[in-house]
Formats: sequence, C-alpha cells, structure tokens
Amino acid sequence: MLPKTERFKQGARETLADPVIQESMEAVYNGFHTNRQSAGQATEGWDAQRDRGRAIKEHTIANLDYYLEMLTDKVDANGGNVFFAEDTAAATEYILDLARARDVKTVIKSKSMVSEEMSLAHEMEAVGIEAVETDLGEYIIQLAGEAPYHIIAPAIHKSQDQVAEMFAETTGTDPGQTPEELTTTARGMLRETFQRADMSVTGVNFAVAESGSIVLVTNEGNGRMCTSIPRVHVAVMGMEKIVPSMQDLGMMLRILIRSATGQRISSYVTMVNGPRRDEEEDGPEEFHLVIVDNGRMRLLADPNLREALYCLRCGACLNACPVYRKVGGHSYGWVYPGPIGAVVSPVLSGLKQAKDLPFASSLCGACREACPVRIDIPNMLLHLRHQVVEGPREVRSVGRVERLVWKAWRFGNMKPGRFRTGGKIANLLGRPFARGGTFRRVPPPLSGWTRSRDLPLPASTPFRDRFKKRRSRGRG
Amino acid sequence: MAITGRDAFLGRVREALRRSPGAPPADAATHLGLSSDDVASAADGVRREMAESADVLLDAVAESAASAGWKVRRVGSPEDAADVVAAICAEGGATRVLRSDQDIFDAIPVDAALEARGVTPGIAAVGQAGTDIPALKQAAFDSEVGITGVDYAIAETGTVVLHPRKGLSRLVSLAPGRHIAILNRGDVLPSLDELFTLERAAYQDGTLEGSMNLISGPSRTGDIAATIVDGIHGPFEVHLVIVG
Repeated sequence: MLPKTERFKQGARETLADPVIQESMEAVYNGFHTNRQSAGQATEGWDAQRDRGRAIKEHTIANLDYYLEMLTDKVDANGGNVFFAEDTAAATEYILDLARARDVKTVIKSKSMVSEEMSLAHEMEAVGIEAVETDLGEYIIQLAGEAPYHIIAPAIHKSQDQVAEMFAETTGTDPGQTPEELTTTARGMLRETFQRADMSVTGVNFAVAESGSIVLVTNEGNGRMCTSIPRVHVAVMGMEKIVPSMQDLGMMLRILIRSATGQRISSYVTMVNGPRRDEEEDGPEEFHLVIVDNGRMRLLADPNLREALYCLRCGACLNACPVYRKVGGHSYGWVYPGPIGAVVSPVLSGLKQAKDLPFASSLCGACREACPVRIDIPNMLLHLRHQVVEGPREVRSVGRVERLVWKAWRFGNMKPGRFRTGGKIANLLGRPFARGGTFRRVPPPLSGWTRSRDLPLPASTPFRDRFKKRRSRGRG
Repeated sequence: MAITGRDAFLGRVREALRRSPGAPPADAATHLGLSSDDVASAADGVRREMAESADVLLDAVAESAASAGWKVRRVGSPEDAADVVAAICAEGGATRVLRSDQDIFDAIPVDAALEARGVTPGIAAVGQAGTDIPALKQAAFDSEVGITGVDYAIAETGTVVLHPRKGLSRLVSLAPGRHIAILNRGDVLPSLDELFTLERAAYQDGTLEGSMNLISGPSRTGDIAATIVDGIHGPFEVHLVIVG
C-alpha cells in the first residue's frame, strides 16, 4: 500500500467533521475497550500472563535469527515451502509466480495486515487473478476500495446504511437490509467464491518455531475455509510473529484474544502443521510460508524501537487511544493506524513523510496500559519526535523558520533578565492584537498553535512582580 | 520441500541484532520448556487428570460451552445421544445430513436413529460410494447438518477440538449450516495449556496431525455496524451433545 501518511492533519480534520464516522467509532470504546477490561478482570493471573507474554516476545526477538532458522527447518520438514522476502515486491512476485505456475484463477484471502502492506489483492487483480477478501470487514472495504480502518475491525467506520447501499449496488439486494440480512447476503456471495477457489492467502497470528506450525485466529471461519478448500495455501507473516514453543500458545492466545475483543476465545483457532497428509480427506496439497521484512529490520536494529516487534496486532491500543477514536484509522495514512501505527508506519514507510504521526498522541499512556505485552508506545513516540526534530538530515523534517523560532525561544529563556524583558516586550507588542487577554489567531509560523486553542497574552504584571509586591505588603 | 533466501535474510537479522551465528541462546532451554522425557510425563499427568476429574470437567465444559454459544444437551446413554442428534436434525427440518467417518459412530447409533426418521446420512469420506475430494466438498456445502465426534473439549473456553485426518474431513464441521458435536466423558481438558502439552507430546512422538481446529461456538461476525451476527461463513448453529 502506498503511504499517504503526509495527509495526517487534513485527514484528521475531515474525520472530526464526519458525524457518521464519529458515531461509528463509539463502538470502539463502548464495545472493544470495555470488553477487554472486563475480560482482563475475569482472567486469573491476568497481569502475570501479560508479563510472561512480554518475556517470551523479548526473548524471541532478541534471538530472532535462531528461531527463524528453527521455524523454517521445521516447516521444510513438515513438507512446506518457505520464502524469505526482503520487501513487499519480492513477496508479491513469489506469490504471483506461484499462482501462475499452478494455473490459479481464484484466490481467497483471509485477513492479513502484511498482505495489506503488499496491496496483494490489488496486485493479483492487476494480472487477471480474481482475489477476494473473505473477512466480512475486509470484503466491505474491498468493495469500497478503501484501506482497513482498524486492525481487527476493518470496516468499523461504515454505518449499516452505507454497507447496505454498497451491497445493493453490487448484488441488487434491497438497500434497507439489517445487519442480519446483510450477513446472509454476504454468506451467499462468499460461499460461492470459497467453493471455486484454487488458492488461499492467509496471515499468521503465531508461528511456532519448535514444530513449524502456524496459528490463525478468526471468528468468522474464513481462516478455516482458506485452510480446507483450495489446492494451495500461502501464509504470509511479518518476521516477528514467532513463539518458541507450542507450550506458549495457550497463554498467547489468551492475552491476544481477550485484549482484542474481550472474548474468552475466538470462535475458531486453527493450527496448520504443513500441507494435507496423504491419507486425509481434504485440505491443501501445498503449503507455503512467506516471511516478510519490509522495513522491520530497522525496528530490530534500533534498541529504542525494537519492542514494536512484540506487537500481537490485537488493536487494544487503538481502542484505548483518545486520539485514534477521534481522528479515525484512515488519517494515519498507511496499513497500521492508532498508537502502534504511529510508531510502525513511520519506520516502515518513511519518517519524513509520516512526520506528524509521532505527534498524534497526548502521551497519556493509555496505549501502554492496554497493551497485552506492555509495549512502551509513548516512549517510542518521544524517540521518533526526537528524530523528526534533531535526527539525521534524511529523516529530520522541521522547517527552518520553526527552528529559528525555537532558537529565539531558547535565547529568551536562557537568562532571567531576558525572560523578564521578553515577557514585557511581548505584552506591549501583543496588547493591540489580543482580545480579552488572549490571541485568537496568530500569523504563521505559529498559526498552528491558535487553530484549535487560544494563546494567552503574557501578563502586564508578571507573577514574580505580584509575588514580590504581596510579600513586601505582608511584611509591612 | 524448499527454503529460499534464508542465508541473506538471517545475515541481516544478525547484523541488526549485532549477533554472530552459532550457539543457541543461553536461556533457550527455559523458553523451549521441558525436555522430551518431561513433555511425555507432563502429557501423562494431563491424561490422568482428565480421567480423575472427568465429572467435574464435564460439568464445567457444559457451562462454558453454553456461554460460548453452543446449544448443550446432556444424555446418559449412546442410544439417547443418537436420538437427540436425530431430533436436532428433525427440529431444523434437515434432510441432507452428513457425518464424519469416526469410530464414535460405531458406539453411538446415529445412522439408525436418523433412518428411523426417514433420513439417510451421507458419510464424509473419500472412497465412500466413489466419492472424491470435489464430490466431498460439494456434499459438505449442500448439507444442512454436519455431525462429528470430539477429540477433546476444553473446560476453560467451551471449546471443541478436532484434528482433521482420515475419516474426519475438514469441511464436515464447517460448511453445513448446523454442526452437531458428540462429546464423551473423559475427553475434557481443563484449559488451553493442557491441550498444548498434549499437542507437544504428539509432535515429539511423531503423531501430531496435519492440522487442528478449535471450535468455540458458531461462526460469528461483528463487522457490520458492530452488530454481532451468527453464521457468516461457517455454521450459524452449533450443538454439543454430552454423553455421560
């Protein structure tokens, strides 16, 4: 997916003015966020399990080469194929070549964020292969030609009426359908597609190093369809999605699912240990695992950002974030929205273009608190802000005027005398322009400050003078 | 089969981590858990617990399965189980019924109970009456009910565990609109952790199946206006018949 991260401010303004989206986003908090809180409270040893989850990710990422080697040896031994892709182009090429070699006409896709990085469905359609998203939310945004709005609820921003209209245009159904009727309509359309699919592409929630297994979590059952029907199954994963042992899965599934939707477990969890065995009744004849870097090495190499690779993609930080809930998913401009997106998207897709994302946070810490593996997102945002302001020239993106203003600010605040005089001068110069003690609007480059708040006029009698006066009065 | 591009990729990982190739991490043993002997004995412990606490676990899973969305019925005998299965099919007016080819149907006379109501179940197995994989798929999508046994159930989560294999098609519990699963006393695990202990032991013995499905309620979506609707791709109704 081509990043549009430079549009953050414009996107945010548009979303704030969109009453349909603002109402739809209520569900993110009232549904997911509160469900997660009750699920955590109802789980025995919840915090200890989160700590254990974090320890496992920390260990696995610190020894990623070791576990990637083990995982891929085991996938190979299980009869699967492994392809390591440095970027999305290499991953896409491998999958398209495979599809052509196997004479594939129809591909069914189960939700995969990495395949969104690749725009895989789009790339397939471009070469004449039918590629259908089968997660209902993904299916809806594929019809709409949009990007996912939320990591686990891609179409959360669409109202019932909007979906009904879209379905009516595609299938000729009644535009007044209820969610139940719309689901039945989608069921019919997608079952027909499932039956003729030759190939599937799924994501990976966990890959188990010691056994070469992959684990898929879904509620709809599309992951099961994808691992049951087509001749060829391709699973695509970011390189970080490994756990060492099957023994880790119980705890990992618990913290992932309870943090994502608040369910005790999702309707389906599927573990795939290679292609169909000879004596089996059905299932794919071929299994391919594509392991993608696409910029993740930069997260791995930077000790300040490495823990972004612990992310389980549960979406809890989005639901907890007061900024995400207002500015919405598309404003972030790339595959990953919300607090974790504000860290991952700039590093994977380019910080210079995404310079506003690290600032799209009040640093309140709600994301860190919600994260099942306690990723310190605010700290990473601060690190990226530092890069934007004072990093190497190729990532730095603060304009010359703004730097000059801050230099002047620094000069004015270095000595008490300068500070005192500066305040008085600012009061005198500003007085004719202020109303009721505040500036409503100031000229660029400071205009951004007053767009959504007032700038107070420095007091004519500074606090230190009033304080001095009161104290001398008190003594007298 | 084949691994492509690994050396260069792992080289970049090591560069990013500033690590040299070679020995396993010092604490890998802790993270990979137990030795193979220990895994085998942990698995024995799990099986003992399943047997010793069978009644408690059966009660627990009846409750958790119901809250996960299974329609739970408890029966005392194989004949009653077969009758309940046939009655569920009849309640839904189903005439196209498909079952797996598992041993449980030798003990529980589901075929006879269905035939008494005038329904002849299909058997989802390649080789049955000339069935091949495409015909099996067609039958699964055409059927109104799919009936299977249960490899394990999980008390913590209300989950039915199935390992697709010879006699147990992947689709028979997925494609029909209703799924009926028959659970025997003694097959209930306390939690997900015990399941993965058994899976791990199976892997070490070389007996791990090619895949595993954990099923915890009907197929569900919340993707339209955050409204929860059952039955998007898989069954809209799931029944758990508990014997014993």
